[in-house]
Amino acid sequence: MTADTTNATATPTASPTAGRAKPSAAEIRRRRIRRQLAQGWKAFSANTPGLIGLIVLLVVIAIAILAPVLVPSSTLDVTKVTAKAFEAPSSHALLGTDYTGRSLLGMLVWGARASLTVGFTATIMSTVIGTLIGMAAGHFHGVTQAVLMRVIDFFLVVPSLVLAITLSSIVGASLLTIIISIGVTSWAGTARLVRSETLTIEARPYIERAWALGASDWHIIVKHVLPAVMPIVLSNTTLAVGSSIIAESTMAFLGLGDPMVISWGSILKSAMDTGAATAGYWWYVIPPGIAIVIVVLAFTLVGRALEAVVNPTLRER
Amino acid sequence: MSNTTPCLEFDHVSISYTRRLGDGKRSTFKAVKDVTFSLDKGGTLGIAGESGSGKSTLAMASLRLLPKNAKVEGTIRINGTDVNELSWGKLRALRWTEESIVFQGAMSSLNPVQKVREQIDEALRIHVKQKPQYASESARAKRINELLADVDLPVSKGDSYPHQLSGGQRQRVMIAMALACDPEIIIADEPTTALDVIVQAQILNLLKRLVAQHGLTLVVITHDLSVLADTCERIMVMKSGEIVETGESANVMTRPKHPYTKKLASAFPTIGDWSSRLKLPDYTAPDAPGDQGRTSRELAADGTPLAELTSEGDAKDAPIFQMQHVRVDFGSKSSVVHAVDDVTMDVYPHEIIALVGQSGSGKSTMARTLLGLQKPTGGDVKYEGAIFPRHKELKEFREHVQFVLQDPSGALNPKQTVYELVAEGPRIFRMDDEENIVYQALEEAGLSPASDYVDVLPQELSGGQRQRVVIAGALALHPKYLIADEPVASLDASARAGILALFLRFKHELGMGSFIITHDLGLAWNIADRVAVMYQGKIVEDGPAEQVLLHPQHPYTRKLLSVVPSHIAEEGIEEAEAAETATVPGAADAPAKVAAGTADHA
Repeated sequence: MTADTTNATATPTASPTAGRAKPSAAEIRRRRIRRQLAQGWKAFSANTPGLIGLIVLLVVIAIAILAPVLVPSSTLDVTKVTAKAFEAPSSHALLGTDYTGRSLLGMLVWGARASLTVGFTATIMSTVIGTLIGMAAGHFHGVTQAVLMRVIDFFLVVPSLVLAITLSSIVGASLLTIIISIGVTSWAGTARLVRSETLTIEARPYIERAWALGASDWHIIVKHVLPAVMPIVLSNTTLAVGSSIIAESTMAFLGLGDPMVISWGSILKSAMDTGAATAGYWWYVIPPGIAIVIVVLAFTLVGRALEAVVNPTLRER
Repeated sequence: MSNTTPCLEFDHVSISYTRRLGDGKRSTFKAVKDVTFSLDKGGTLGIAGESGSGKSTLAMASLRLLPKNAKVEGTIRINGTDVNELSWGKLRALRWTEESIVFQGAMSSLNPVQKVREQIDEALRIHVKQKPQYASESARAKRINELLADVDLPVSKGDSYPHQLSGGQRQRVMIAMALACDPEIIIADEPTTALDVIVQAQILNLLKRLVAQHGLTLVVITHDLSVLADTCERIMVMKSGEIVETGESANVMTRPKHPYTKKLASAFPTIGDWSSRLKLPDYTAPDAPGDQGRTSRELAADGTPLAELTSEGDAKDAPIFQMQHVRVDFGSKSSVVHAVDDVTMDVYPHEIIALVGQSGSGKSTMARTLLGLQKPTGGDVKYEGAIFPRHKELKEFREHVQFVLQDPSGALNPKQTVYELVAEGPRIFRMDDEENIVYQALEEAGLSPASDYVDVLPQELSGGQRQRVVIAGALALHPKYLIADEPVASLDASARAGILALFLRFKHELGMGSFIITHDLGLAWNIADRVAVMYQGKIVEDGPAEQVLLHPQHPYTRKLLSVVPSHIAEEGIEEAEAAETATVPGAADAPAKVAAGTADHA
């Protein structure tokens, strides 16, 4: 045990690797990811409500994408419609018509586009901001953390409706205004969630091991914290899409959206503006409401199922 | 004998758990397989086995405390009553009045927001129907005082919250709680795990005294055979749900028949037994002494001077670490805790040092200080002669000194494969030829062939294998020195020897020394060249292992040695008991009077 021992390339156990091939690093990584995905899908697919929610969502998304094919936009052109206003549901207008004589079913299909677009974009925006700030607020200490926490606190109490009204009066009412006002005001909750998750993860011994291995802040956040918070972020995102859709409907209903874009909220608004609700034209009011409920419920079911995949203790035994 | 019903009886009991898998299918796991035994009133039985052997399941089954997915076959009788046939109300009446449990982990079994007095009271209040004498508030208060006195706790401690008590005191509260309703049977599930050797001796002694005083029937469950030898008349050894050996405890301890029992018994060596000095089942150091000890060792033919191993022998190398008057304080001005208190010590590159001491003595803080994970409040830590690196050079330093953590299950990111875990270090340092490094490190850590392990996630490995992955991760950086914090404390007995053998082998084959923090003196006897004893932040004794362990100078070292379970003798316990009464009121007194033995072996 003198000179040659510092040369650590000496293999003490003279056991040349057995006949089996050594898988390469990339191969191992690929296999692990494939295995983790398969496992996740297995657990998800065992959850029947989640599966139902997923199927509903896929159908709604397909309808939204195929809207121009299913309902050519010309049929919704006010100048070309032939039907009378406020027609009750019948064989040629399954869900009746609105105050200009447009088919409400067609409007519902087009409305799915706007609602889903806003739901997804606003949620992605708030999730990205929330995750980044949440991880930073959980990882760093001292001044950085204090400043970030105060910023989070500020956005936690900003009333999104007031912000949206202010924004739309400055920028003008549009879909983008709605997306920005939802995205900017709803990330604080995600940030708090991610921060608390980050704190639990950072208390694990494997973080200490990583420090001892010489890791940098960046390494710890990207290699250990991010993968660990991803699942909870994902399930939270799915749940948040539902609330974004509701927020969009609310804002469209209040007239903050682009009046030229049909969304479920704007259908409800026009129903109220034209007195359809009080006149007893139920087909004008109920279908968009039910559409919102179904989509939000589907997102919630999927979100809960994802949560159960992430956190096995939530699964019933 | 035949006409008296046994107190506790297990008749061909099998217990299986059904688990729902991800895809909705169910899998069944047999935790206990056809166990039969009976225990008469006043008897004491020890059940030994490693984690997963089904011993805790067995205990919980006797009070029907198992989760819903467990299925019990066979009959369990308490004083002749079949537990599984009881109605819910009768079962509740039986719980705690006839049989009670001292749960494992007193911290998590006590409610942190209730005073301990109220928690003992709870047990009495629930059973007012069966024990009408405790119906009134004052009668219960009197009973609680009685119970606290019974477990040697001052009555005033009843008004504390669990976090205000030490581990040993909490365990005493748990025992008081178990005694509350005067049960006949007490099951102690790992009553001393996570306690210090000294406190462990006190708790075992207390249990023994209570059994004798109240004529209790006691079942002790543990993974540590030596705990049982002293407390129980009979020992039952379990392995994967089956009983592999039963017998009188003296017989099982000294003449184990089953190979598994032998392995368990040998996991905790006897200090002074030369056949286990620097010698482990997997690896024997080239300089290990013969069975006769020092004499044969001095006569060893290889001509290596004896001094080679001792710190004096290594003094010709420059020390890798030099600590000069290092102190680490925690807390604010008003309540400062000196975790490390004026420690001066040199660490040499090719030696294995065992730093021993009780929990709370500052051992782990010292390891973290050496690793640069904790900044010293005062004094200097020098690494290879230079003042400890900060910031930039710290990363370079990390490459040379690596860390092995206590709990391998927590130290490995559960989402990464073994390969990625070991490759983490090389990736941080952008080393070339990462694949070769990883495969070689795994082989060196005893995971061979490495290709069987690279693809595996840590939770699919056993505790010992996980610790080997942690060690491989450290080795991948080709460090000069390892610092290990209780590397085997959370492992099963059978994995212990294998991990210790690695440290010994690294020293002899790679020239890599290690600094091992431990509370286990047997470990020091197994592998250490040098032993340093830490007490309340100070190094009270430091010297070659054989000298410190066989001829301890400092009274604290002697006390530590006297309570090593395999050594438990009556006087040892009395000494410990006396020491406790001395330390309970004032805390810091005894060691301060003795001149701090920080003397270095230069």
